Amino acid sequence: MPTSLATRQLIVVTGKGGVGKTSVAALLGSALAAAGRRTLVAEVDPRENLHRMLGVPPSGGEILRAGSRLWVQNLSPQRVIDDLVREQLKFDLISRRVLDSPIYQHFTAGAPGLKEMAVLGHALRVLKGEAGKDAPAIDTVILDAPATGHGVALLAAPLLVSEAIRSGPIHRLSAQVAELIADPVRSAIVAVTLAEEMPVQEVLELAETLRTRVGRELELLVANGLFPPVPTAEGVRRSEEANETATAAADPAGYLWRHRRASQERELARLAELWPGGRIDLPQLPLVGGPELVAALRREAEAQAAWGELWS
Amino acid sequence: MELISNDAPLLVFVGAGGVGKTTLAAATALRAAREGKRTLVMTFDPSLRLKDALGVGEEARDREVPVDLAGLAEIHPGGSLHASLLDARRTFDRLIERYAPDNQARDRILGNSFYGQLSGSLGGILEYMAVERLFEAARDGHYDQVILDTPPTRQALDFLEAPARIVGFLDSGALKVALKPWFDEKGRLKPAARWGGLGRRFEGFLDDVVGLDLLRDMAEFFQVFAPLFTGFRERASEVEDLLRSPRTRFVLVAGPGEEAIPDALFFARRLAQAGLHLGAMVVNRVHPLLPFPPEGRFDGRHLLAWLGERDRIGLARLAELAGPRQPLLPVPLSADEPTDLPALAALGDFLAEGLAEGS
Repeated sequence: MPTSLATRQLIVVTGKGGVGKTSVAALLGSALAAAGRRTLVAEVDPRENLHRMLGVPPSGGEILRAGSRLWVQNLSPQRVIDDLVREQLKFDLISRRVLDSPIYQHFTAGAPGLKEMAVLGHALRVLKGEAGKDAPAIDTVILDAPATGHGVALLAAPLLVSEAIRSGPIHRLSAQVAELIADPVRSAIVAVTLAEEMPVQEVLELAETLRTRVGRELELLVANGLFPPVPTAEGVRRSEEANETATAAADPAGYLWRHRRASQERELARLAELWPGGRIDLPQLPLVGGPELVAALRREAEAQAAWGELWS
Repeated sequence: MELISNDAPLLVFVGAGGVGKTTLAAATALRAAREGKRTLVMTFDPSLRLKDALGVGEEARDREVPVDLAGLAEIHPGGSLHASLLDARRTFDRLIERYAPDNQARDRILGNSFYGQLSGSLGGILEYMAVERLFEAARDGHYDQVILDTPPTRQALDFLEAPARIVGFLDSGALKVALKPWFDEKGRLKPAARWGGLGRRFEGFLDDVVGLDLLRDMAEFFQVFAPLFTGFRERASEVEDLLRSPRTRFVLVAGPGEEAIPDALFFARRLAQAGLHLGAMVVNRVHPLLPFPPEGRFDGRHLLAWLGERDRIGLARLAELAGPRQPLLPVPLSADEPTDLPALAALGDFLAEGLAEGS
């Protein structure tokens, strides 16, 4: 039986770079906060973006209030790992020696899955109220996943790390995170795509790999950046046009609109055929990234059937 | 400026994911081939349609596959195009096969479980392997023009630092520590190691936090890998020299719109800091300038007019920030993505001619 999104503790928003993950993460954050959840939206990107969507100054790595029951944070994986080490090695002198040692630096930079694991581990610690005494109590963490590579690398990391490191605190943390990720009652995975060939291909592969490697289904797929549908009258006009080149010259806007929309519809049809789960379609809007865009996208999402199903 | 030039036999396409780098790299390669150059294009993850257009399949992961140019007009004699798909794991395996002193050492490395995880998922290795392949192709002399498409990540410039990182690691002393005989025959930490220079508390920390099993796998990996390091180190610094050479030119591809400007400037700055040579900046898929329709219901025409205006402002700001001496070419959004050879060839012509006119 499906669980409402409003009761999940962790929501991971994943997708290829440039598909609008951050606006979807912000949209979900504002919706969850409105539903009464104390929500932290965290992004993993050295160039902060999320704060702009929510209309607050850059977080600089701290947990920053962005509204009623809403917080943002920009995460640096290396900083999260370093903090963890500092906490483990209670003495300053020793932790400095460790943090400065080339072995530590190369190990943490290179160990498979460690950075991804650190980000998810941080989410878990925030949820458990272990992220520092000044941190607010948080019911839900929404993670705007890094654009690098497949989201699967992030989601499979806890399992990988808990198998590679078989004892100690990192093992315990990664085992707990792996459990959280595998639990459909407590966590959800949302994928964002554009209606273009490569992003659609990747999101379908993501759904498949998630199923086989993490044992999870995507909760929701968001198709972003859609052009408005072309009115039937315009479609009819097109079928009467014998000379495409002449039309392109006479009505470049209409020509471009029809072609972009037609290729997006082809990809939407492919998604509908190969992805049986819930999908929300979001339009390309004439707005730059910011609270106004997020609010407008949220209204669009709320009008769709798949949105209602998320909260029941 | 000349996009294809005898002075720049290596072209590297960089930029954020999803901006169309791969398509532009393929289009440029077609142009080079038609100008009469023996050309190789190396790419990571082309779309199915692009693979179809070039006529390459999975076999391109193992070797360079010739692209049939017979359908194209205006090909100078001697021109040819090969394509290959980059696969980090296979390149790494090949490297080990080359540098391993004997078959036994090779099999031990390929079978080590740490190596299995390392070459599959270690950040930076994929990127390093791309430049490694570039180096191979540049050195073997079969090609006049080599074009490299870079990994589809937002941190796409990591690969530029990969050779330096590997050299840094090999020189850092970390390796010496890793190569110490930490473990005895039974896989237990040796007392000497436990009490060694790093101190007992650090040992205790490693044991506690990382766990000794992982360290055992790593130690074994480094020990079997050790004989390869000399060759590997030399290779990594040669690769680094090649990237910095003025004969290697970077083409920075950016998306349109104001929101893409920070990305483009970030890449340009990183290239300059790393001492790499930026040739052209290409802003891809720029929406055309279209009149706003008279007030009425919001529709596709209205949206396109807004996008055209957004891109115009973005382009003007980028041109201003990049400076008048930076070659910068906007590529208009086409109604349909170029997906066959003639369309790709036309895009290649647009790039070469547009950049030539700009100078």
